[in-house]
Amino acid sequence: MKENKVKLAKYLKEHFPAIIEKDYNYNRIDFSINRELVPSVLRLLKEESGYIHLSHISCVDWLEEEEFELVFIIWSPVDKIKILIHTRIDRNNPVMDNIDKIWRQANTYEREIKEMYGIEFTGLEAADEFLLEDWNGMPPMRRDFDTAAYASNKYYNRPGREDAMDVREEIARHSGEEIPDFAKKYSR
Amino acid sequence: MINDKNSQKIVDHIHNFARKHSLWVLAYGTGCGAIEIPPTMTSRYDAERLGVRGAATPRQADLLLITGYLTTKTLKRVIRVYEQMQDPKYVIGFGSCTINGGMYYDSYNTINALDRYLPVDVYINGCMPRPEAVIAGFTKLQELITAGKADGAAKYKEKLEWYRKNQKNVIPNWTMPEYNW
Ligand code: SF4
Repeated sequence: MKENKVKLAKYLKEHFPAIIEKDYNYNRIDFSINRELVPSVLRLLKEESGYIHLSHISCVDWLEEEEFELVFIIWSPVDKIKILIHTRIDRNNPVMDNIDKIWRQANTYEREIKEMYGIEFTGLEAADEFLLEDWNGMPPMRRDFDTAAYASNKYYNRPGREDAMDVREEIARHSGEEIPDFAKKYSR
Repeated sequence: MINDKNSQKIVDHIHNFARKHSLWVLAYGTGCGAIEIPPTMTSRYDAERLGVRGAATPRQADLLLITGYLTTKTLKRVIRVYEQMQDPKYVIGFGSCTINGGMYYDSYNTINALDRYLPVDVYINGCMPRPEAVIAGFTKLQELITAGKADGAAKYKEKLEWYRKNQKNVIPNWTMPEYNW
């Protein structure tokens, strides 16, 4: 496992000098690279090294850094190594290359990311709507989307029951106990 | 038919007696609560002894169980289903999600109070309610039917405008007919 990972890192370094590797224990190894090179890295790994399985494409919203991070998780059934390819893209102009020519199933993940984070995949051919219906607002998985405010605006909030009272102090008094400080902030 | 008020009462009584003993539930599950339906229906709790059994299509069903949170996307289908059901029809809201949103109260795509969109006859609370609670809900509905108080469908027709307004509030792209039963 270890020597395979070292070999793999060396192999990728040869082809893509800009790649940054980070080793994790057991069967995981991470690489980060700029966005333009991701399709070539993936194609190389798939066609030359036997990383034929795309497990997932995931997205992280780095709001403070104004960036989105895309993570491509691929797996080789021969090497039994899991590779995570990280890439950062600009949050204000989120564009990524479409990779569904390499793996067809990438299409589904890309549609979901497009809908939930608003990332454009160049040349992605898919219907407009996937999980959300009639949605025309900020993509809901972005961190600056305030879901509580949205929900209280859009949906009716039933007021609480009148007989729902805070009885903790009563109970504490009855049993002669103190409510600990850390729990006090939860009382209504 | 019968104009005399008292005879109408007797006829209604017989109708309601028959209705309460044959509640056919539409096999339509939303949210997590649908998982409590199989144990309720099968031999351990055996809801069929109360006349509750599954029905395959909305047209054959009397009872719509909303078994948990409803996304706006599903709400659209549920409204369509409800309006296709034939009278007499009843709705049971199942689980705290249908009452006040439950643990999805702040979710961007689930509605919070079912009775703004569909007329609910009986609510069963719990997250999720156990089969005993579900059966208690069924018997409560039967009591209401006997007393002639399970009139959700009539209320829906009467206050259709109000319901439509709420429904269109959360379903911006309304593609359904205005009146379809
Ligand atoms: S009330 Fe609880 S069990 Fe029922 S749908 Fe909501 S979260 Fe799930």
